Amino acid sequence: MGLLSPQDEATLKEHLSVITIPVQLVLFTQAFGATESGDIAKQIVKEIASLNDKITVVEKNFVLDTEDKAKYKIDKAPAIVILSDDIDTRMRMYGAPTGYEFVGLVEAIIVAGTGKIELDPETMKWIQAVDKPTHIQVFSTPT
Amino acid sequence: MAAANEMITADAIEATEFMDLSRKYRVTGVPKTIVNETIEIMGGLPEKMFVRQALDLPDEQPT
Repeated sequence: MGLLSPQDEATLKEHLSVITIPVQLVLFTQAFGATESGDIAKQIVKEIASLNDKITVVEKNFVLDTEDKAKYKIDKAPAIVILSDDIDTRMRMYGAPTGYEFVGLVEAIIVAGTGKIELDPETMKWIQAVDKPTHIQVFSTPT
Repeated sequence: MAAANEMITADAIEATEFMDLSRKYRVTGVPKTIVNETIEIMGGLPEKMFVRQALDLPDEQPT
């Protein structure tokens, strides 16, 4: 059984219909020493991908795929890297994307899949003026 | 923010799953945002206020 109800699926499908650019969700999980959140993350990204043929899931092993881990600078799992037409958007989700994190994941997919960022023009100017590496970490919980 | 500028990386972290990190950054409530290990933002803020704090921009001058 899916994690999403048929009604949620229909709503989500509608939200995702704006996507025009292929989106890849690169999922890093580990088989040993892992919590069940890796399985939940896998199920969630697969359910999302099943709703829109422009979204694909690329599975990676956190322990074995060291080259990809280094490429995307992944230091913990489960992790989801969001690519827009194979280009890294530098947006990452760590842990099972449930609750608020799920909303964040869908929003990130829509940004990657449309190339549109819904921010105030002035805010965008400030962001685009950033000229040094900036690492933002947002901690949240599912509820 | 990350999508708008390639200097920026944005991680959304499930706090209860990564307790070591949550302890490191003293996450006692959510959302909590850490920028470059130095800036801490507690709670959710309106867009402009959040970006100003995250990028360490000076407060808006009254006009």
